[in-house]
Amino acid sequence: MSVRTAVVLAAGEGTRLHPLTHNRPKPMLPAANRPVLEYVLDALIDAGIERVCLVVGYKRDRVQEHFGPRYRDAPITYVHQEKQLGSGHALLQARESVDGPLLVVNGDRVIEPSLVSDVMRAFERDAGPAVLGVIERPNARQYGAVVLQGGRIEQIVEKPDSDEYRLINAGVYAFDSSVFDAIAATPRREGELQLPDTIAELIDEGDVQGIRTEGLWADATYPWDILTVTQELLARGRVDEPERREESRVWINDSARVHDDASLQAPVVIGADCEVGPGAVVGPTTALGHNVTVGSNATIERCVLDADTRVGAGSVLIDCVTGQDVDLGSATVGSGGPADVRIGSSVFENRRLGAVVADRVHAVGEASFAPGTLVGPNATLHHGARASGRVAAGAEVVR
Amino acid sequence: MCGIIGCVGRQEETLDALLHGLSKLEYRGYDSAGVALAGKRDAVDIEKRAGKLENLQEALEGVEMAGTVGIGHTRWSTHGPPTDENAHPHTDCEGQVAVLHNGIIENFQEIRDELVASGHEFRSDTDTEVVPHLIEEALAEGASPEEAFRSALARIEGSYAIAAIFTGTEAVFCARQDSPLVLGLDADAYYLASDVPAFRDYTDRVIYMEDGEVACLNPEGWAITDRSGDPIEKEPHVVEWDAEETGKSGYDHYMIKEIHEQPRTLRECLRGRVDELGDEVQLEEFAGLAPPSTVQFVACGTSYHAALYGAQLFREAGIPAQAFLASEYRTSPPPIGSNLVIGITQSGETADTLSALREASRRGAPTLAVTNVVGSSAARECDHTLYIRAGPEIGVAASKTFASQLAALNVLSLAITRSPDSREAIGALRDLPSAVQEVLDESRSEAVAKEYIEADAYFFIGRGYQYPVALEGALKMKEITYKHAEGFAAGELKHGPLALVTERTPVIAIAVGEGDAAQKTVGNIKEVEARNAPVIAVTDGESGVERYADHVLPVPESHPRTAAVTASVQLQLLAYHSAAQLGRSIDKPRNLAKSVTVE
Repeated sequence: MSVRTAVVLAAGEGTRLHPLTHNRPKPMLPAANRPVLEYVLDALIDAGIERVCLVVGYKRDRVQEHFGPRYRDAPITYVHQEKQLGSGHALLQARESVDGPLLVVNGDRVIEPSLVSDVMRAFERDAGPAVLGVIERPNARQYGAVVLQGGRIEQIVEKPDSDEYRLINAGVYAFDSSVFDAIAATPRREGELQLPDTIAELIDEGDVQGIRTEGLWADATYPWDILTVTQELLARGRVDEPERREESRVWINDSARVHDDASLQAPVVIGADCEVGPGAVVGPTTALGHNVTVGSNATIERCVLDADTRVGAGSVLIDCVTGQDVDLGSATVGSGGPADVRIGSSVFENRRLGAVVADRVHAVGEASFAPGTLVGPNATLHHGARASGRVAAGAEVVR
Repeated sequence: MCGIIGCVGRQEETLDALLHGLSKLEYRGYDSAGVALAGKRDAVDIEKRAGKLENLQEALEGVEMAGTVGIGHTRWSTHGPPTDENAHPHTDCEGQVAVLHNGIIENFQEIRDELVASGHEFRSDTDTEVVPHLIEEALAEGASPEEAFRSALARIEGSYAIAAIFTGTEAVFCARQDSPLVLGLDADAYYLASDVPAFRDYTDRVIYMEDGEVACLNPEGWAITDRSGDPIEKEPHVVEWDAEETGKSGYDHYMIKEIHEQPRTLRECLRGRVDELGDEVQLEEFAGLAPPSTVQFVACGTSYHAALYGAQLFREAGIPAQAFLASEYRTSPPPIGSNLVIGITQSGETADTLSALREASRRGAPTLAVTNVVGSSAARECDHTLYIRAGPEIGVAASKTFASQLAALNVLSLAITRSPDSREAIGALRDLPSAVQEVLDESRSEAVAKEYIEADAYFFIGRGYQYPVALEGALKMKEITYKHAEGFAAGELKHGPLALVTERTPVIAIAVGEGDAAQKTVGNIKEVEARNAPVIAVTDGESGVERYADHVLPVPESHPRTAAVTASVQLQLLAYHSAAQLGRSIDKPRNLAKSVTVE
């Protein structure tokens, strides 16, 4: 039975990526100048998927507006998950929009087409009711770990406490349409229906095939991961913009304007309508999104600056992530990691992160960010202010 | 104002292709629809119904219709009410020919009287019906279908895109005069339509027909001739628009989808045109165009509001400029002098605007079209064209195309007036897409719309660049909510309209910046507040207006020119959410059509 339809789960908020997800869902965060979800859809379509059903919820306008009614030649159906009650609940929303076997994939991880086609082939060969893609990762504790034995999944453990696991659930599944009944029959936990719980039940019935795959699998769980995902994509040359010279690893959109006296250090990608002033140094390992302005003599190194960000003259940004429409005045300084960063109730030590500056933050001028600072959306940094730790949304920081 | 479609070469799929095309043309009119099929058989099958396309589709269930060539029509009434009889196609007395038409036949009464006198029976009130009877006359005299079609064209005066099919003939004939008509060419099938989306799912190769051209499509191919039958060579264009871009993609209405597209469509409009570091605006299309000494704008509806705004931009750059309603310009033309005449028309097919531009051109003025549609009549007929690059707009009430018109007019005025001190305006243009995104992310318009849903009327006021925004805000509100709404220059309020203001008439005031225009608007707001009217302020907070307002719809602080765009987005959302609350037919308001191709 061949699989031609994919359901993509793109309704989640991504709370661990706050404050970057204030105005958009995690699948729409940038990775080398394209939303993560574009890589997911590319992988699906390259693997032979012909129809996509996108489950949207949190800030769904951003997804719908970006992709419209079709991506490449594949028609997209949108299904609305009004309350985000878990991945199983999300998939269940697509029940009426899908006939026959289906591929299911998380919309918030960059994956390779081979990962999708491996799962599709295993399903088509075996016609099992469920196939799960398995990948080896060093940090299995962050994910759903699995035990694979003779092509069957024997166990699935969400976020295990021990380091004994090496294999994880890649978040790419193939099911026949009985999966919807299986989800509906799965008991809720704390009001939520999680797909791994359904998988666990199917494992008890001995019905889940596992297929080992490899290749690019890049997940942004925490804000600093935005930098490493872009780094991986630039390293592999997975960039949409035209390359300036062959093998130069400098990708630059035709409508961008870079002053002759500015220096671009490979690998670097410069999006449409960007302007880079004289004396500026941009890169290495940097992505400038749509319509970003870098003032004269600014230094931007290992940064991801999202659409409409303005960096004033003479600024220095290292290991920084900005959201959209961030306005940093002249001589702003974010001098880079390592830093200890608090996310929720955990402290992550020694992370390479300068600052995360969310949408529409305005720094008037000569502001500075201590390593590991997270600045909430719409905050204002007054002249010469120094931000550190966590700055709340809409807050004003004075010197 | 109607939409037409025709096709040859689809065999048993002919009816499906026609209905699909009509569904894509519904934006051009939707008070009745009809189809006719013919072929080698000795009959023309016709089915037509008043009301939406669904009525026709229901009527077609269980009806046998056969034919290998066909034509279809969706109507927006100009002559006669929307009834089954008045729906197109129309036939002659014997049913040998079926004709449909978009436009107005000006001398139809004279022809009709003559035909009635010679015994023809008319079944409808339409001007169109004279055509099949004229064709019947010619057929009776032994003319071939093509000769009969041409002889009817020779008799009629006015505007038309017209198509006809005949019994026993595997061909569609069509002709154009002052109404849009485009051919679509596939490998083994040919189409005609008022607009490309009608057949865009089947082919991207098109030929735009010109006035005075006649085309014949048959299974073997297509041929275009002039009125006297001499062949005309034409090369097909390839269109880039994706017909599926016209899907609603998860939104409830096209209008809200199009409102949300504005950050992206504004980026498209500005792409490659604005250079902030170089402090200049570049328009390759107009390189070498001398700054005009004076400018006249002509436009209708929403585009007229853009024209008022554009005229202000030119005046601020020191060039005398005025905006005219195109229909008035045509009726009582002003002295033209050495003006540049700029026509603004989203579709490029607006009959009043085209007519005003032709009048200007006839009197020797250089003309410039600001339009959204590549290859449209306005683009082809004017000396210069500036495309706003907003992509297809399906909602009848303009939203993204208004925003892109304003952005394009900024680019145009900066590029051709070469005004100094443009640094701030250029920076503001680059920030515009993100400023609009901010409004979309944070607008409270839905809650405000709900609170005032019971209002008797809505008044919109603004000064300077915000005056056209007030007019446009009111037009949006009336178009889609069917409630009374009026826009005024804020200073005019006390000269009459204030008499209408009560506690049941919210006043929506646009006050941006801290300049004179905003301060004076604040003064006018105090006047309405004293009459207990609820005040909704659209503001960046610089003028202190929020102290007098019951609600604030904020816009980011920016240049007054670009604030006009963000303010109009707030007003689009306010109108949209009001109409949604009232359950209106938002994408197809009653009595309206998207592009009005009749005068």
